[in-house]
Amino acid sequence: MKPFNKNGWLTGLLFLYFCPASNVEAQAPAFRPTFMNMTEVGLSLGRVTSGSQWAQTTQNRTSFTAQTFNGVRIWPRLAVGGTVGIDWYLASLLMPVSAGVRYDVAVQSKKGVGLFTSLDAGYGLAWLHRDLPNYKTSGGLYVSPGVGLRLGQPGRGNFVLSVAYKRQESAVVKPLDNFYLKRDENRIYNRITFRMGVAF
Amino acid sequence: MKSNVLLVLLLLPLVCLTACNDTCRETRTFRQFTPVTFTAEQIRNGVKQEAPRSLVNPGKIYTKDGYLLINEVKEGIHLIDNRDPANPRPVAFIRIPGNGDMAIRNNILYADSYMDLVALDISKLTDIKEVNRVQNVFPNGQFEGGWWSFNANTLMLSDQRVNYVTETVETNCEDGMIARQNACPNCMSTDFANRFVSAAPAPNTNGVGGSMARFTLYDTYLYTVGQQDMQLFNIQVPAEPRRGERINLGGGIETIFPYKDKLFIGSTTGMLIYDNTNPAKPVRMSVFQHARVCDPVVVHDNIAYVTLRSGTNCGGNLNQLDVVDIKDLYNPKLLKSYPMQNPHGLGVDFPNLFICEGQSGLKSLDARNALDVKQLEHLAGMNAYDVIPMGAAAGRKQLLMIGKDGLYQYDYTNPQQLQLLSKIAVNRPF
Repeated sequence: MKPFNKNGWLTGLLFLYFCPASNVEAQAPAFRPTFMNMTEVGLSLGRVTSGSQWAQTTQNRTSFTAQTFNGVRIWPRLAVGGTVGIDWYLASLLMPVSAGVRYDVAVQSKKGVGLFTSLDAGYGLAWLHRDLPNYKTSGGLYVSPGVGLRLGQPGRGNFVLSVAYKRQESAVVKPLDNFYLKRDENRIYNRITFRMGVAF
Repeated sequence: MKSNVLLVLLLLPLVCLTACNDTCRETRTFRQFTPVTFTAEQIRNGVKQEAPRSLVNPGKIYTKDGYLLINEVKEGIHLIDNRDPANPRPVAFIRIPGNGDMAIRNNILYADSYMDLVALDISKLTDIKEVNRVQNVFPNGQFEGGWWSFNANTLMLSDQRVNYVTETVETNCEDGMIARQNACPNCMSTDFANRFVSAAPAPNTNGVGGSMARFTLYDTYLYTVGQQDMQLFNIQVPAEPRRGERINLGGGIETIFPYKDKLFIGSTTGMLIYDNTNPAKPVRMSVFQHARVCDPVVVHDNIAYVTLRSGTNCGGNLNQLDVVDIKDLYNPKLLKSYPMQNPHGLGVDFPNLFICEGQSGLKSLDARNALDVKQLEHLAGMNAYDVIPMGAAAGRKQLLMIGKDGLYQYDYTNPQQLQLLSKIAVNRPF
């Protein structure tokens, strides 16, 4: 398959979700599974609108995010494994732990640019978060599909740029007083993340 | 071809950004107050015995002779036959408008009814009736954060009806970054076994109250504390309470308990110690000031166990058990502090110490050595805010514990493994 074949990336996405085996295997009969690591850091961007209907405010949110994917290339283009990361949201520190896949939609030529897609799905843990007195933060499910570019020679250490959507759920039980008898907050972080890192 | 891909890569973030809004929704329940007015006659005619009903908004607990009384805030008192703690049976509901506290001497139940003190004869549980009433003794008070006041000239009472409102609001996802500071309700309890003995000279028999009590009995007097003062009632003839001394205490008064011949009065900023050698006229000995945190206290001999809790409406940033040497009541000394989670009411039946940890449940501790208080068991999974260790009786040691979700009874014969005897569930409206 040529890199950046006109419909190649679309086909690749379909492969990723439906039938990643087929002809890829056929092209590499001597393929042996290899270890793969992709470690990235970056920013996650979002917005939040809050307040009563008469006094709504919208604020931008930018927070730091880092993650490392460790897996095995089970096919030349597909690696499956696990992803562990950390997300510094403004009011909570979550550690997403998930299963992940990386699929090379277009493998780069020598010193070229390759395109890959990623999908991580798992649970964001609140282990590292330290609550203020009487707050209790718990984590929740998360999912993060994305696309990225590999820069460098194929089969060697690559520089990686990626962009991904991230949906992370979380919940907070808040302290009570003479006025409030119950205060529970459900949080859904909808973020776009821009990351850079290395992969080999 | 490449440009197509780049275009998609550029568009993707933009498409996502339109959906990239954090969504944080807080579901909260709060009290809404509505002003209401009653005539004195309406209140005074409202006392009556009714069929038992389920607990909805339980307040203080009191027990005597195997019977358990649970206050239904502002409504009355649930009377429960608890002679078999494994199988408590509701007996009756005594409707007393504006009731929050109670105490029993012999067969007479004293209860507040807004501005009045009511004495009820409970010798026949099928026919509980009002036998006396001291009128217009409590000028104002507070239930669940809502104030009431009585105008003795117009004989009108202004109160606030409480409704529970639940709403969902969108937040900015940032709550939890700044600790909240608020006012502090104080709460205290005592060594109930000791208090029972010391406070009940024969032949009179008193009941045992919980750690939040504003009523207590000593000698021939009933002591009641309001927000600013202590009102004494002479109950030499139990069925005929007579108004006694009124002593100004200052503001923020929360609880009272007698220990030997001393009265310990809890306020939001400290603990007042009164010498009660002359029960008709207690005299202030000292004020034990403390940091602005909630500070329930229990006493055993020369040791006071003080729990300091922060957050919620307590302020401060402390959650700990302080063991204090009170040999010299004029000069209490801290012996040691132990970290806790969020301690509320507590009770001691030496050497057993029980601490309610609010949402974190109940802790059983060994307080034999003041410098080395050991945790024996931690029961989680329920809300605990007040506890009464009843001591040994009928071959077991019974513990009453009330929380927002019910009244739990345990056997603490083995304090390392409390045995649940029964639970009376609460049917809360929120």
